[in-house]
Amino acid sequence: MRLVAVDRLAQQHGLTSRQSLGDARALVPNLIAREVDHDLLTALFADFADWHSYASPIVAVMADRASYGDLVLDITGVSYLFGGEEAMLQRVTERLAQLGFAVGGAIAATIGAAWALAHYRPGTILASGEAETLFTALAELPVAALRLDAEQVAGLNRLGLKRIGQIRDRNRKAMTARFGHGLVERLDQALGHIDETLRPRLPPVEHFAERRFAEPVGLLDDVLMTGRDLAIRLCLQLQAAELGARAFHLFLYRVDHKVTVFTVNAARATRDPAHVARLFAHRAERLTGEFDPGFGIDMIRLAAGDLCRLDATQIGAFERRDGTEDLDHLHDRLASRLGSRAVLRLAFVNTHIPERSECLLPADETIPVDPEAEPDPDRPRPLRLLPQPELVEVARAEVPDGPPAGMVWRRIPYRFVKVSSPERIAAEWWRDDFLLSTRTFRQPTPEEIAERKSREPIEEIKRHPIPSRDYFIVEDEAGHRFWLFRQGFYTQATMPDWFLHGVFA
Amino acid sequence: MHGLQKQSVLGDLRAQIAAIEKRPVLAEGAAMLRETAGAGFLVAPPGLMHEVHAEETRNAAMGLAFALGQARTLIKPERPAVFFMQLMHEAQQQGLPYGAGLASFGFDPHDLVFVRVKTINELLWAQEEALGCKAVAAVIADIGGAPKVFDFTASRRLAMRAASGGASLFVLRYGAGREASAAQLRWRIEPAVSGEMRFDPRAPGTPRWQVTLERNRLGLAGKTHETSWLSWKNGFELAGNRKRPPAGRVAGRGAALPGAVPAVLGRRLQQTA
Repeated sequence: MRLVAVDRLAQQHGLTSRQSLGDARALVPNLIAREVDHDLLTALFADFADWHSYASPIVAVMADRASYGDLVLDITGVSYLFGGEEAMLQRVTERLAQLGFAVGGAIAATIGAAWALAHYRPGTILASGEAETLFTALAELPVAALRLDAEQVAGLNRLGLKRIGQIRDRNRKAMTARFGHGLVERLDQALGHIDETLRPRLPPVEHFAERRFAEPVGLLDDVLMTGRDLAIRLCLQLQAAELGARAFHLFLYRVDHKVTVFTVNAARATRDPAHVARLFAHRAERLTGEFDPGFGIDMIRLAAGDLCRLDATQIGAFERRDGTEDLDHLHDRLASRLGSRAVLRLAFVNTHIPERSECLLPADETIPVDPEAEPDPDRPRPLRLLPQPELVEVARAEVPDGPPAGMVWRRIPYRFVKVSSPERIAAEWWRDDFLLSTRTFRQPTPEEIAERKSREPIEEIKRHPIPSRDYFIVEDEAGHRFWLFRQGFYTQATMPDWFLHGVFA
Repeated sequence: MHGLQKQSVLGDLRAQIAAIEKRPVLAEGAAMLRETAGAGFLVAPPGLMHEVHAEETRNAAMGLAFALGQARTLIKPERPAVFFMQLMHEAQQQGLPYGAGLASFGFDPHDLVFVRVKTINELLWAQEEALGCKAVAAVIADIGGAPKVFDFTASRRLAMRAASGGASLFVLRYGAGREASAAQLRWRIEPAVSGEMRFDPRAPGTPRWQVTLERNRLGLAGKTHETSWLSWKNGFELAGNRKRPPAGRVAGRGAALPGAVPAVLGRRLQQTA
């Protein structure tokens, strides 16, 4: 067990992170140690990252190096809003410090340099982005400031390379051979020779409208009303840019450093404020339980995402109405209230296996049309398919592989008077996951598993491990029509299972 | 002008006027039902609320088939969509409409929009919302149990929505009980032994059902029909009428129904025929 982080008091007693707990206890017998809660830290950092989008649109959490995580803000072009870089750094770190966190921060031109300075020289602001300036600032820092692995740091230290300044002019090939590619890459990243990109937690937004409140608001109605106002402002912006958006995000910045995001999607690009406001109203109805203003909301931002060009269209007189717009609006309203997985359309997949030959996709997505996959209307198929085929008991046919004479389904017996000839559907051997499994249909009981194990698998099955299905259309005396299939074959040792897969009209 | 053509043009004009005036087409519908009842099978005009009762959930496909067959006559270029709504947890009990099955039945699967919800309240809301849309031809709601929320008041709301919006609502219900409802038409569907398969006498052939009109607020109730669905002809046919050629059958088009609008019926089948 090792220490992950130490507070100021512990530092004064000579404890450092990465020290083993035993050593630390020897130094400070009354040490209070807590196990690190990674989930909590991740959640906390995610909240912080979202909340800091008030300062800059691009915020990311880097969890790869430090055991607790690093918050990275791209402040290109935004520091003037806070009165300069110095003021911005002070304001951002102070707000966190007021909440009782120990914060170290720095501003530099590269992510690597900023990380190194924030961890080893907090408070530094390095305005220039030139490699030489960066190098002078970093030269005296220990090699660990380059975000290296523990083994890499230990290896470098063993060779007496303790400062960043010592390793820059070494033979790069030899260094790569000895310490891996990571070392040279990290060095180049810190000095700005190669680019490093951030993965922002929130989708980047180009068009948004926001409102800050003097007094925090807490009522859902207030939020929705503000949302409506913002929608009008945002849509004017979009109109000026001749753009439409397919996604709208409403960010609620809470006083206590949390951000709630509500997202609605539109089936087609829109900039109609009334429609957007209505979608948010429906969305709010669905999730009143999710809405938690905490101690209040001090800023609301409405952002448009998924932008595309939308030219001005004629509405009102001489309008062409073909219904698609009405239908898209209906889809949006239904999806915003019921969730996007509630409004669906059929898409066909090119396969013979009945349950895989189609899938339901959200109606607002573009449905791929594959002419090969379109179903053949001449092939008899049931009007309703059971999502999970149901196991039925079938009286053994007169001849092996022959049609069934009757069945028991949902505890009701049926006697068939009409049976079609079988239609064999075999597994698709050219696919990876080609096996037609019965596993998904029913979990076998332990006795059944034991029984199957006790049976000796015969040669036939060994040679053909792919079961095929024989589908029958059956009709009973009253006129109920069903789609039955037999999975596998009758052999000397095995009895195949029968399933009911669908009902005919 | 050919008589039939004239009739369909007149029918179109009537529907257009009704759409413009936003007036319920009930009065018109009653006349139309009376007209078609003598000749063949009833085809209901738009803007009505139907209840389709099946004895048990194993007959779910028959109710759906009947509703789809009626709904398909209502699809127009400016009303392209039919909605199917179901509670998510009832999908296994009743089965989900199957795309390939719809195609072999004669219904274009791309016209159907699925709405899968968690609660009955959401289902009612979604029905109302869809019925209010000008681009929806019909809404088919599959309700497995007998939920308390779906009472007379709720059905009255839906019936009024359907009348004002001009889309038809088909509520598929199961079981022997009949609750108070504001539906204008109530049908009972029972299975019947299928027709003959031409090449294989032992196999099930053309699907047939017994359809009873239990209630008709527009007049004429209590008549039982044995009906076949002929997908290649695109329409219902009375099983008794098999010897006669279907009345509305125009060469190249596939309407077996008097009163139906042939051009709309067989959009896909026209191409294949």
